[in-house]
Amino acid sequence: MTWWDTLRHEWQAVFTNSAILLTVIGGVLLYSFLYPLPYIQQVPRNQEVVVVNLDNSQLSRRLELMVDATPQVRLSARAHSLDEAEEIFLSRKLSGILVIPENFYRDLLQGRRPTLAFAGDASYFLIYGTVLEGMAGAGGTLAAEVKVHRMIMSGQPPSLATERLSGAKLNLVPVFNPTMGYVNYVIPAVFILILHQTLIMGLGILGGGQNEQQGAGQEGYWQRVAPLRLLAVRTGFFVAIYWLLFMYYFAVCFTYYQIPRLAGLAELHLLLLPFLLSATFLGVCMGSLMPRRELTTLLVLISSLPLIFASGFIWPLSAIPAPIVAASQLVPVIPAIKAFLALNQMGAEFSDILPLWYQLWLCAVLYGALAWWLLRRRRNNKIEGDGGTS
Amino acid sequence: MTDQPFARLISREWQALLSDPWLLSLVTWIPLLLFFLLWAIMSAGIARDLPIAIVDLDHSAMSRALVRHYDGSPSLAVDTGFSDPQQGAAALRAGKMYAMIIIPADFEKMTILGHPPQVSAFVNSQFLLIGRIVNAALLQAQATFVTKVEMRTNLAVGPPIFDLALATALPVGTQATPLFNINTDYAQFLVAAMLPAAWQILMVAATVLSLAGEQRRQGMRQWLGTSPVAAFFSKLLPLALLFWLHGLLFLWFMYIQQGWPMHGSWPLLAFAQLLTVCASLSAASVFFFITLDATRGLSLAAAYAAPGLAFMGITFPVTDMSLWAKIWRSLLPINHYIEVQFGQVNYGASLTSALPQLTVLALFILPLLFSIYRAGRLAVPPTKDTPCT
Repeated sequence: MTWWDTLRHEWQAVFTNSAILLTVIGGVLLYSFLYPLPYIQQVPRNQEVVVVNLDNSQLSRRLELMVDATPQVRLSARAHSLDEAEEIFLSRKLSGILVIPENFYRDLLQGRRPTLAFAGDASYFLIYGTVLEGMAGAGGTLAAEVKVHRMIMSGQPPSLATERLSGAKLNLVPVFNPTMGYVNYVIPAVFILILHQTLIMGLGILGGGQNEQQGAGQEGYWQRVAPLRLLAVRTGFFVAIYWLLFMYYFAVCFTYYQIPRLAGLAELHLLLLPFLLSATFLGVCMGSLMPRRELTTLLVLISSLPLIFASGFIWPLSAIPAPIVAASQLVPVIPAIKAFLALNQMGAEFSDILPLWYQLWLCAVLYGALAWWLLRRRRNNKIEGDGGTS
Repeated sequence: MTDQPFARLISREWQALLSDPWLLSLVTWIPLLLFFLLWAIMSAGIARDLPIAIVDLDHSAMSRALVRHYDGSPSLAVDTGFSDPQQGAAALRAGKMYAMIIIPADFEKMTILGHPPQVSAFVNSQFLLIGRIVNAALLQAQATFVTKVEMRTNLAVGPPIFDLALATALPVGTQATPLFNINTDYAQFLVAAMLPAAWQILMVAATVLSLAGEQRRQGMRQWLGTSPVAAFFSKLLPLALLFWLHGLLFLWFMYIQQGWPMHGSWPLLAFAQLLTVCASLSAASVFFFITLDATRGLSLAAAYAAPGLAFMGITFPVTDMSLWAKIWRSLLPINHYIEVQFGQVNYGASLTSALPQLTVLALFILPLLFSIYRAGRLAVPPTKDTPCT
């Protein structure tokens, strides 16, 4: 069978297979809307907080206004005691409680350092952090005002007083994701995972389906092609499809969701090649090993959650048990997520990601050789006529 | 297949399960392995020694003191081997460092002269959670350092009273209490949501595979016979019991074995899990009955259940989700369950507060009706006089 015949058969096998189309095209398109959906607003805003103002001075009411004015927090209820606040907090599922202590104003005037108390639901950790940020911001501003006021009272000129606010200022600048947005945080990594997973699923359905047919004694074109040629054509075909799907994600979707794109085009493609090759070879391996076509889908589905959490963008790799980190290095998506994030979101030099790039090539060689061997084994099974695949 | 007592159907199901190694794995050890793996990834609970780059342009006693304060934070590990900002920035971009701190030249001099210098911290916020940990640690270390410096100044120029010196340096104190997760343990925060999300995926996949198994072995008509409802329910019952057991197991693991605080009612939680299992199996059966194909059914199930964790509202508040996100969210049983779980575990919420979620979970009976209808149609040849149920 010629190269051209092989390609035609593969083309037909893919484009007449509704399961592959549903998974590859349908999956990639659906997820491009579905995954960013919960995070569209980017940052949690106006988290509702109940305030207990035991002071009721003008200053404490000003503080309330300042807290309310932060983008993170909205004071949505008022309580007269801590018990009442707790009840409101629980029944209305608010994000936190702010307590302004008794004699807040007086203590502040007398230099006695009153303490603002804030309690938040830390089981929703990132939300807790957001609310805390808003509270601390407003509290800090008020404290600064008081300090400037005191300095002026003690005879320092206002300009100097403002400057001398604090012993040493810390200017925190979030970089790479300056707005701390969730879409920018989650989507670049998850899109790589989606491409990887649907690619392997698609190849698993193709290979597993052919195994099923072979097990049922049916003949197929894949048995008449030299394994290396079959591998080359199938790989080229799927890599081409996924090159387009990748461009859809990284050109169309990234633009639409306004996710930064720092990588140069040439470097992006240079990284894409070993990623798609290694994932495709892994998919061919899975497809050759699985006796039925749905089994690859099953394994891929189950592996998604551990893979995303072991990839290091949510939780630092140094805090993940070493055996899990080591084992996960064999899955192409792990170095790929790291490399794409560094290159495209953080603007790393290509030389910085070279170790990851080599790792992807190593995966490609490893799975490529294994895929070739498995395809040969499957073909020989047919020649010997023992058909013992399933 | 003729009419059979339900008990015989059930025992037949167990036999079928035992003879299908893939399905058997999926309902026995795979969930345990998956739960363990997810827990193990997060098990450290607290991130320690996150590397940050320090570019100290001052090299004074005071700048070194500041660096020591950063290093003293358990979350941070400082690397002072950077002589200029370019080097530090490169390490930050390469992802080797989570932050870069630049201490300006004349840091000590300016501090002593009372012109407070500005220390810049560039924190990698691409890794949002890690970035927040670094942020918080830096702020805390800085505040301690500044307070010490100012107190020293205040004690030198003012009356030697510790409290007064502190109050001048920090006129308003703040005290934050993290409720329901006192140690701010990230394992408690994430694993409590990850395991239910994984549970949902497993339930949906197992339901589709289990139904598809009958189709593969003997065909739908043969399997459903003349009593399709009994055949269908006997298929789901073992799955439901096994997954309920898995659900109880991960609850036991988190709140008894690991000893994470649990303030709610165990019976209520167990009941919510049972409803969740039924709802999930019911929803999943639809994917099989509209495709009648293991692969396509599983692909749909994957699209349905895989993004579950994103919609749970644990990392991003539900109140900030768009209407479409909320609609999609409400279609997944686990999102209703997780509210009951968090409500019980954290607040020990009352039964009445869990009622809305439990009611919605019960509403997932509707997809089951569709599946039963489809099963009835498939059971017998499409002639007119067909006893449907």
